[in-house]
Amino acid sequence: MLKLIRFLKPYWWRVGLLLVATGGQVYATLQLPALMADIINNGIVVGDMDHVWQDGWWMLLLVAISAAASFAASYLSAKVGAYFSRDLRAAIFAKVLQFNMNDMKQYSTASLITRTTNDVNQVQMIITLMLTMMLRAPLFCILGLVMAIQTAPEMSWIIVVGITAVVASSAIILSIVGPKFKIFQGLVDRVTLITRENLTGLRVIRAFNNEELERKKFNKTNSELTRLLIFIDRVLELQNPLINIIFNGTSLLCAWVGLSLLNQDFAYLGNMTAFSEYVTFVMMSFLMLSMMFVMLPRANVSAGRINELLKAKDSIRWPAETKGVPEKQPSVEFKKVCFSYSDASEKVLDNVSFRAEAGQTTAFIGSTGSGKSTLINLVPRFYEATSGEILIDGINIRDFAKDDLMRRIGLVPQHGVLFAGTVRSNIAFGAPNASDEDVKHAAEIAQATGFIGRMSGGYDAHISQGGTNVSGGQKQRLSIARAICKKPDIFIFDDSFSALDMKTDKKLREALKPVTANAVVLIVAQRVSTIRDAGQIVVLDKGRMVGKGTHQELLRDCEVYRSIVKSQLSDAEYRKEIHGAAK
Amino acid sequence: MGPQNSYGRAKNKKFAWKEFRHSIKPYVWPIILSVLLAIGSAMSGLFIPKLLGDMTNIAVSTYPEIDWGAISGKAITVVVLFCIAAALNYAQAFILAVVSANYTKDLRNRVLDKIGRLPIAYFDKHKYGDTLSRMMNDIDVLTTSMSQEIADVSLSITMLVGVMTLMLTISVPLSLISFIVVPISVFVVGKIATFAQKYFREQQATLGVLNSKIEEDYAGHVIIKSNSYEGAAMASFGETNQKLTRAATLAQIFSSLSFPVTHVFTNIGYIAVCVLGGMFVIEGRMDIGSIQAFIQYVSRFNRPITEVASTVSTIQALLAASERVFEFLAEPEEEPDAEPALTVPNVKGEVEFHDVCFSYDGTTPTIKHFSVKVAPGTNVAIVGPTGAGKTTIINLLMRFYEPDSGYITVDGAPIREMRRSDVRAMFGMVLQDTWLFSGTVEENLRYGKRGATLEEIKRAADSSNVEHVIEALPKGYKTEISEDSDNISAGEKQLLTIARAMVANPPMMILDEATSNVDTRTEHLIQDSLENLTEGRTSFVIAHRLSTIRNADLILVMRDGEIVEQGNHHKLLAAGGFYAELYNSQFAEN
Repeated sequence: MLKLIRFLKPYWWRVGLLLVATGGQVYATLQLPALMADIINNGIVVGDMDHVWQDGWWMLLLVAISAAASFAASYLSAKVGAYFSRDLRAAIFAKVLQFNMNDMKQYSTASLITRTTNDVNQVQMIITLMLTMMLRAPLFCILGLVMAIQTAPEMSWIIVVGITAVVASSAIILSIVGPKFKIFQGLVDRVTLITRENLTGLRVIRAFNNEELERKKFNKTNSELTRLLIFIDRVLELQNPLINIIFNGTSLLCAWVGLSLLNQDFAYLGNMTAFSEYVTFVMMSFLMLSMMFVMLPRANVSAGRINELLKAKDSIRWPAETKGVPEKQPSVEFKKVCFSYSDASEKVLDNVSFRAEAGQTTAFIGSTGSGKSTLINLVPRFYEATSGEILIDGINIRDFAKDDLMRRIGLVPQHGVLFAGTVRSNIAFGAPNASDEDVKHAAEIAQATGFIGRMSGGYDAHISQGGTNVSGGQKQRLSIARAICKKPDIFIFDDSFSALDMKTDKKLREALKPVTANAVVLIVAQRVSTIRDAGQIVVLDKGRMVGKGTHQELLRDCEVYRSIVKSQLSDAEYRKEIHGAAK
Repeated sequence: MGPQNSYGRAKNKKFAWKEFRHSIKPYVWPIILSVLLAIGSAMSGLFIPKLLGDMTNIAVSTYPEIDWGAISGKAITVVVLFCIAAALNYAQAFILAVVSANYTKDLRNRVLDKIGRLPIAYFDKHKYGDTLSRMMNDIDVLTTSMSQEIADVSLSITMLVGVMTLMLTISVPLSLISFIVVPISVFVVGKIATFAQKYFREQQATLGVLNSKIEEDYAGHVIIKSNSYEGAAMASFGETNQKLTRAATLAQIFSSLSFPVTHVFTNIGYIAVCVLGGMFVIEGRMDIGSIQAFIQYVSRFNRPITEVASTVSTIQALLAASERVFEFLAEPEEEPDAEPALTVPNVKGEVEFHDVCFSYDGTTPTIKHFSVKVAPGTNVAIVGPTGAGKTTIINLLMRFYEPDSGYITVDGAPIREMRRSDVRAMFGMVLQDTWLFSGTVEENLRYGKRGATLEEIKRAADSSNVEHVIEALPKGYKTEISEDSDNISAGEKQLLTIARAMVANPPMMILDEATSNVDTRTEHLIQDSLENLTEGRTSFVIAHRLSTIRNADLILVMRDGEIVEQGNHHKLLAAGGFYAELYNSQFAEN
């Protein structure tokens, strides 16, 4: 939590002013009981009405000061709190945008979202509380103590008794209940989990007629949760009555002791009332502080999660300018590239070398976990090769400025990803200056004109967040159009055709040919049909390259490739393929 | 305070209130008891300032020979009173805690029960997150604000009435002054609160926009990076972030203003009482103890007022939550099963669709005049482009949805006249979505048949080719897995769902083949175990694999809700129609 305080730095003078305003407010508030004591002692008891009026005006002035200070404090704390969280959110967002895939994988998207939203909210709540209560409570405490002791020094021991009682009772209750909160959270999570499972597994549960079983399972956890909740409440609810006893007891003690001191000094008549109010102020402040201690750990968890993220080192450094002169013809070359997620873990790619030329399709095939997706993600430096070199246009990718490298790449990921906006804004996402012609041309090649035409608004049709208002296949085609519109030198298709039906897949590949005539095309595929015409097929197995060549060559020489082909064809067709290859 | 308050407002307050009242009926007596205890507790606390004032009066009037006997008498009464007040307060709080815990439990059980009774259509139209938030957040808001309100309102009103009475008995003019200040302060605070509410709502709405943006950008991280879009993304984020900051600042300012404003009014009242009270004492119309007591009462008088004022927003939150919970509980349920229900004792597996029509939304037909007769033991493959209505066939067979017209029979008996549970028991189902619940492997496999022995489960695992996978897990059959567990792969999960269907051993099967993300070896295993599963059973397969399609006894080719062709692979290929076109485009042979 403390580490995040640095986000308050730009607003230090506002925090300073806030401190002054809060101080003023506390001071003015605390003067009131003293004046009231004065009214009793030097006004009422003596019968001096002028003195009463005079004190009254003073009090009014103090109230005005306290109100002004208090308004200022509200304004400042609201402002600082909101700016603090704004900056924090922006810092996290910027950090996440810098992340590479390894980082994204490590944290998981869901957890990153929680950190940017919920965790920031938690921290903001605490910061606002700190700026208001946390500043006020200690000030009240200290000034209240000073005033109390000044008013009635002989009675100050009562404060010690009162504070001890407040702190002790809070501490005891918290120590009983505190450990149970973790179990409580666990049970709440479990209730949520079962509910979620009942929703996501709706069809399966009904198919197996297990509604009753699920209900029993839920009832059991729910009852457990209820029992724990009752236990916790039984202890927690002690807090209120106990505090009441303590406050009332202290008032009584003040009155008793104050009255017994009357024989010494009649001024105790007014002083004991003022004193009793001071004691209440001080004890209230302690109560607030103890509440902070309950809330702080929860915010601390959030703060810790945010810090972890902000502290993460940038895993990839980009040079400011591209070093070296690119070759005329685009190309991608891997030289003995190895990759593993961390030093300790197994190699995901082991010594992979190939060269992909312009105008030629290079395809990657292999089973899940063979490393084919990882391989193509090395090209835009989403992952960083552990050893070996990757060259684009003859230049090592580490020597490219970020935008120079990305400009060359048109990437279509496995799952179509769209952004809220229009069809047009999505297609022109990578090429902000694209003309209407360009956008339409890209859509045509991607076989997307048909459904775009049917959408109301055509190219200006609204795409909702995450593209939820278009189907998976349509999303995929728009993603492809987006890559085409960018006119890149290197196309990367990461299993991008699997969401399309077989017919569209074929048509699209046909239409792509002229566009990719002068570009490098890298394709990861599941279906053999998608890649059988590729100029070069790289077969991967457990991260190693076990074959490289054309469809025909691989059918002849590569065992792994043959087994893949076999699994997708009938025996007769397979025999025919093999026969064809042998010739 | 804050976000909860802007939770939203109930659209139909009457409904929300009526349902809420109805639902707390079983708890009426404990609630009444706790209200009585709260009143008792507040009343015993009331007299304490007056007694303390009396102590001062005795001391002053007997000064300097202070009558300690009389004073200690009062003091003892004070101790007794605040102990009684505390005890009653605790009893009250405890009863309410138990009530609200049990009320929460009941509501949650009801919601879960309801999930099991609603038609599938409800969940196809509503997001899971929505139901989940009704279950967790709304019930939480409902019950906490209920128990909080019952205690607060009864305590506050008692305090208010009691304090006012006592103040009046001490001094009528002083009371009137205090009474005037309060409504003004409540009015001003209320005005400020409506501003705060407005900005809170704006804040929540902007926060929602920002959260979606974050979600979208994080999910599309790769695309943003590869298109050098970071700058634009950052700018757009910054814009919304700034909007949020503005709303948050205003909301915070207005909501925190209520404190100083109340403070000012309270203090003005306080000063007036001090000055005027002082005057009265000097004039001899009042004694000094009364003034002290009165000052204490003034400070106690303000709290219940602000509390009652804040109940307005709490009750609003309560009603909004109540509406969401009870709206869900009032959703129309699945139609009850026909009584008496038809039963098919020994299912042979003859399935027939009789001119079935179906539409999800009542306007665009998904299935049009669908008729087919499937002989026992036939393996049926359903193929066709996305959106042709393949999944709908499954929904109708399992009675997740009912046909708009036409009917389906099994062994000649219409399934609509059977119990849903009986229909579903006839079919085993393996879906693309490999749902497993969090529990052990064994529990998950036993899900198909509750009484299954470990022996049976192992046999099913073996013929589903998943035995070796389970054996390789750290704790074998006792390994904990869950929906999103990563100790087993997607393909292995698929094998487990096949084994689960195998344990159930139903007379017929429904399968939706997984398409991608499965490696070649696992795919072989899956294919092999699916063959075991469909062996000799009537089966319906939504087919994506060529091998499945080729080996099927009957292929139904669907397009736009209709069967456009049917027959076996060779016959259809020879016919050179839509099927041939589909097939050839997948693996072009020339």
